[in-house]
Amino acid sequence: MSDIDIELISVRKTYGNALVVGDISLSIPKGEFVSLLGPSGCGKTTTLNMIAGFQQPTGGEIRIRGRNQAGVPPEKRNIGLVFQNYALFPHMTVAENVAFGLRMKGAPRAEIDQTVNTALKSVHLEGFEAHYPKELSGGQQQRTALARAIAPRPSVLLLDEPLSNLDLKLREAMRVELKEIQQQLAMTFVYVTHDQEEAMAMSDRVVVMSGGVIAQEDKPENIYNAPRTSFVADFIGKSNILPVSAVRATGDQREITINHSNISLAVGSDQAGPPAARFCCIRPEDVRIIGGEAFAEGANVLDGTISKIVNLGAHLDLWVTVDRDITIKALVRSSRSDQLKTGNHVSISIAPAAIRLLHE
Amino acid sequence: MTIVATDSPAAPALRRFALRGYVPLFPPFAVLLLFFAVPIGMMIGISFQDPKTAQFSLGSYQRFLTDGLIIAGLFRTILMSGLVAICVTVMAYPVAYFLARSTSRWRAIVFALAIAPELAGVVLRTYGWLIILEDRGFVNDALIWLGLVSSPLPLAKNLFGVVVGLTHVVLPFGILALLTSIQGIDPNIEKAAQILGASRLSVIRHILLPLSIPGTVSSLLISFTMAASAYATPALLGGARFKVLATMISEQIMFYINWPMAAVMAIVLLVLMLAITFAGGRVETRLHKKLNV
Repeated sequence: MSDIDIELISVRKTYGNALVVGDISLSIPKGEFVSLLGPSGCGKTTTLNMIAGFQQPTGGEIRIRGRNQAGVPPEKRNIGLVFQNYALFPHMTVAENVAFGLRMKGAPRAEIDQTVNTALKSVHLEGFEAHYPKELSGGQQQRTALARAIAPRPSVLLLDEPLSNLDLKLREAMRVELKEIQQQLAMTFVYVTHDQEEAMAMSDRVVVMSGGVIAQEDKPENIYNAPRTSFVADFIGKSNILPVSAVRATGDQREITINHSNISLAVGSDQAGPPAARFCCIRPEDVRIIGGEAFAEGANVLDGTISKIVNLGAHLDLWVTVDRDITIKALVRSSRSDQLKTGNHVSISIAPAAIRLLHE
Repeated sequence: MTIVATDSPAAPALRRFALRGYVPLFPPFAVLLLFFAVPIGMMIGISFQDPKTAQFSLGSYQRFLTDGLIIAGLFRTILMSGLVAICVTVMAYPVAYFLARSTSRWRAIVFALAIAPELAGVVLRTYGWLIILEDRGFVNDALIWLGLVSSPLPLAKNLFGVVVGLTHVVLPFGILALLTSIQGIDPNIEKAAQILGASRLSVIRHILLPLSIPGTVSSLLISFTMAASAYATPALLGGARFKVLATMISEQIMFYINWPMAAVMAIVLLVLMLAITFAGGRVETRLHKKLNV
């Protein structure tokens, strides 16, 4: 994995005084599936456009397979791009769309035909060669766009929110398929999305962006389990983020006090949280409602009142007010919905290891 | 309709209500009937009169088809209009593309400059061209002063002058026709072609031109019909040496006082433009279907 396909070195992009991307450094090894994840306006699409060559960085350097791309136009970069709205050529059939990249490269007819067949097979679109984009469903258009992008065998495939126009079921199926295609081709994928589930489901590595900079960059499980900032904790999955007013260390054990409250929580010793933590993050699924569910020895126990219940089908979202201004969200199985009603007094428990300290 | 008529007592009321929807159409319809359909009917009537006796006669039609000078005028009209259509469309395309795609601050200025000529009257602009193109005009004076030519080039009072003048007059309409069409093409489609390895030229050839054919056809049609029906520009820049149907019609009325002949010429011009528009429309629909746009 030492082969680096894409390297961003302090890449920045400004429009006048507006900073869109600020000093991003990132290296993407060959064959990796990397997601750029963030809310709209975080600079992820601009970063993608700069890698593709549609926008020029204001500063820094972009290297593809070791070569500086300054001044290299998009058509000379040998990368593929799947657009959010697919951008299929409406006047060409599916086969002509897929063949376009190879035609531009001047590949011989026989090779084009064969590659088009293979590409269409890999996206399960055999038999649609003669159809026009207008005659296809959204999912089929999506597959055509994917086949068109991979047919010329680019070294890197960029994907700009390619699944966001599909319905939920199809989106979930396509996630699995995209990952399979990526592994089959052993192609480097750079996937831009604001959908954290998509990023988590497919990526080898997730790059969370916020305000034009990288907030955290890690494996999906680490991003989820060990968010570095409250932004990441809040953006990835659901979480309770509570302000911390004090951290006391007593030997191995550490204890935090929640701001504007009398609540103190023991924090696991295993995590090397920052000494000057300002926030803590607790995932709702780590909050247990006492009574029925067993909880670990030594857990923090808090008393509170259920202030709101939202039924999500398999699970309930529960808001438990434990102090005047402090409400903790919990995720419980809906089989317990009979015992849990708004206004009930309940006790909740939180294992010390489930509390993560964040310094910003 | 039969179902409504048989079992619904509300049918007459409904019908009255439906009729009421057409009421706003009456005034424009009346205006068109009075000032458009009736004069055309009168023109057709006059075309069948003998110029001297006002009796029924096919004489003017006969003369149109046999008089070499008139036929030459017809072909001159077609040649001039065709050239104007091509010049306008070729020149309007890059401007329209820039206006459709640009986000720069120059866009508004270019747009204003593209449309501004329409604010000055046709006659004014044509005199402007006359000053530039005539034998003692700006261009010829400059060429002679530079010693590039010894006698003035024939730039006005001929096909060249008329095509230049008309291209200028019609250009904004070509730009607007193409602008609408190019704006309808998703910029991502061009980017997609580019990232697949297409050079700028290939993008234009394989993507832009095929997808903007409807706009191109509209631009050609508008330019052709505007050029064919133009009077002031061919009259001033073509003069007596370059006669087209429009100027010949006025000549028939003003000099020869031959209304039937003028009417026949006007009818031929009308039929020519209708035929071109119809044919162009057919081509456009066919391409529309083929291009799936």
